Amino acid sequence: MNKWTKTAAGVAASLALLGSATLAHAADTIKIAMAGPVTGPVAQYGDMQFTGGNAAIEMINKAGGINGKQLEAVIYDDACDPKQAVAVANKIVNDGAQYVLGHLCSSATQPASDIYEDEGILLITAASTSPEITSRGYELVFRTIGLDSDQGPTAANYIINTVKPKKVAVIHDKQQYGEGIASSVKAGLEAANIPVVAFEGITAGDKDFSAIIAKLKKLDVDFVYYGGYHPELGLLLRQSKEKGLNATYMGPEGVGNKDISAIAGEASEGLLVTLPKKYDLDPANKAVVDHIVAKGEDATGPFVWTGYAAIQAMAQGMKAGKTDPFELAEYLRANTAQTVMGDLQWDSKGDLKGFEFGVFTWHKDGTSTQNQ
Amino acid sequence: MSEQFYYFLQQILNGVTIGSTYALIAIGYTMVYGIIGMINFAHGEVYMIGSYAAFFVLAGLAMLGFDSLALMLIAAFTLSIVITSAYGWSIERVAYRPLRGGNRLIPLISAIGMSIFLQNFVRLAQGSRDIAMPSLISGGWVIGPVDGFNVTLSYMQVIIFVVTFISMSVLTAFISKSKMGRACRACAEDLGMANLLGINTNKVISITFVIGAALAAVAGVLLSMYYGVINPYLGFMAGLKAFTAAVLGGIGSIPGAVLGGLLLGITEAITAGYFSSEYKDVVAFGLLCFVLLFMPTGILGKPEVEKV
Repeated sequence: MNKWTKTAAGVAASLALLGSATLAHAADTIKIAMAGPVTGPVAQYGDMQFTGGNAAIEMINKAGGINGKQLEAVIYDDACDPKQAVAVANKIVNDGAQYVLGHLCSSATQPASDIYEDEGILLITAASTSPEITSRGYELVFRTIGLDSDQGPTAANYIINTVKPKKVAVIHDKQQYGEGIASSVKAGLEAANIPVVAFEGITAGDKDFSAIIAKLKKLDVDFVYYGGYHPELGLLLRQSKEKGLNATYMGPEGVGNKDISAIAGEASEGLLVTLPKKYDLDPANKAVVDHIVAKGEDATGPFVWTGYAAIQAMAQGMKAGKTDPFELAEYLRANTAQTVMGDLQWDSKGDLKGFEFGVFTWHKDGTSTQNQ
Repeated sequence: MSEQFYYFLQQILNGVTIGSTYALIAIGYTMVYGIIGMINFAHGEVYMIGSYAAFFVLAGLAMLGFDSLALMLIAAFTLSIVITSAYGWSIERVAYRPLRGGNRLIPLISAIGMSIFLQNFVRLAQGSRDIAMPSLISGGWVIGPVDGFNVTLSYMQVIIFVVTFISMSVLTAFISKSKMGRACRACAEDLGMANLLGINTNKVISITFVIGAALAAVAGVLLSMYYGVINPYLGFMAGLKAFTAAVLGGIGSIPGAVLGGLLLGITEAITAGYFSSEYKDVVAFGLLCFVLLFMPTGILGKPEVEKV
């Protein structure tokens, strides 16, 4: 056999395999589309969601599937780009999937969800925290994560009850996400009579924060809450240390990324961050952690668990016979889902009832430990 | 001395640090404008490339096991200047020279295109995530009371002032004393006439781009070490601010670029320090409008004489 015939034989064999696989699956599997970034700058968050989703599907299948049928995951790459998300949503509609886990970025989930709602496809997002997504009266949109607006009260309570600072400054990056959380933290602190001596915006993309740091130093601030993302907070931490401002910093989940330790170095030690709780440390989830680690994947990311829980919730509804997306949505609103995140209940908008963020202390090597 | 005084001193020092770097980048804009009357919008990206070049040199030397600070600094400055100057020269050769002599708008669009190209080129080649630079020089002086507000001045800030001052002096001496500098001034005065009198204007223009890029490389090395982070987008904001500084000081004038840079930096620091950092850009650009209303050519700019 020469090189060409070998290749041709290989291709033919794999085509035959693929063909038979599709035929076999078409009859007795339930397709679940998983959409999120496989490529692009936030692909690391996409990996978390796919790890969790795949693990859930494998474990459900191993336990006998849904009333005799197996679940099948199909991964779609939206690169966290709104335009590509719309293209992916159309492809999912054409491929005939009725359930979607995803998308990851709020800006991608929002336009894609318009298509799913029109086409009668159920969507559960494991990572999109923008309040907008569930505020449009859609019937088929759910999430297994909290909203941006939930993090403010969690942070404020922690500051009031645990940190008990003397003088607080609240800084934000003048963007929707950062300023929203910062305002909510400020309101929470003022309600508890903790003085907020400075409330200021910085410009995202700036590199030099020496002027504002000197100001905080003069005001003798001992605690700073920052609403925004990690590039600016990393520089703030680093420059604060250089300029001798001895204050504890705290930020939302947008700063909780290994990059912050790369930027701020030692100055990132002791930073407080609100993040979804670490479900991988829960002893009840040991079997799931073992399954993921055995595949050589990482079980520590927050979206591994929110993704896993989303699949579990869908599966529970399907086992109860609700395979039609509208019936399944009704089932989720009316019932409690038992998941790796604990018992989950949804309100009429599709948001979780009582989702709580945890407070973590960040370390200079990029790891974190849970405080509460 | 009172706390108020120390606070004022600290904000002035912060402002002069930012201002010095604006000035280094602004020179590139002002020299090119002075000679060919074109705004090189890709100059911010040249500065970004200087930062990346510095990162590669420092990371490479660290990987090879060098730990001599002086050697690393000399290597970072030299190689970054060489690489960035090569970019400056090539940009002029590829994107501007073929369009010279046409409508002024055409090279301007070409410059914007070059800027987008360079930004995306670095993004695709190096990724869009922030890269942390090794911090070589840390520490500094503390002036004032131990308890209460004291002024901090890092070694890096002092290095920025000193290097900026030396670069400016060398450039000024080059322009006013050397033969090439005289040719540059002749071209700035009248490009066509200089050509007729036997000056190789193509060479002068190339040299101008190389000098601008070399100063941007110096700024890139200094600032990437000072802030410790680089990404492919940092050229945009820095370029915009430096361009503003050049216009404020009088575009086409080298002392004007330095004055404009320092004025802009100090205004930003004082606004952020005494009012609110939210208004620092508003005040800085408000100042630009105000100055241009009364001095349309900037503080040190010469009124344009109609060339006959």
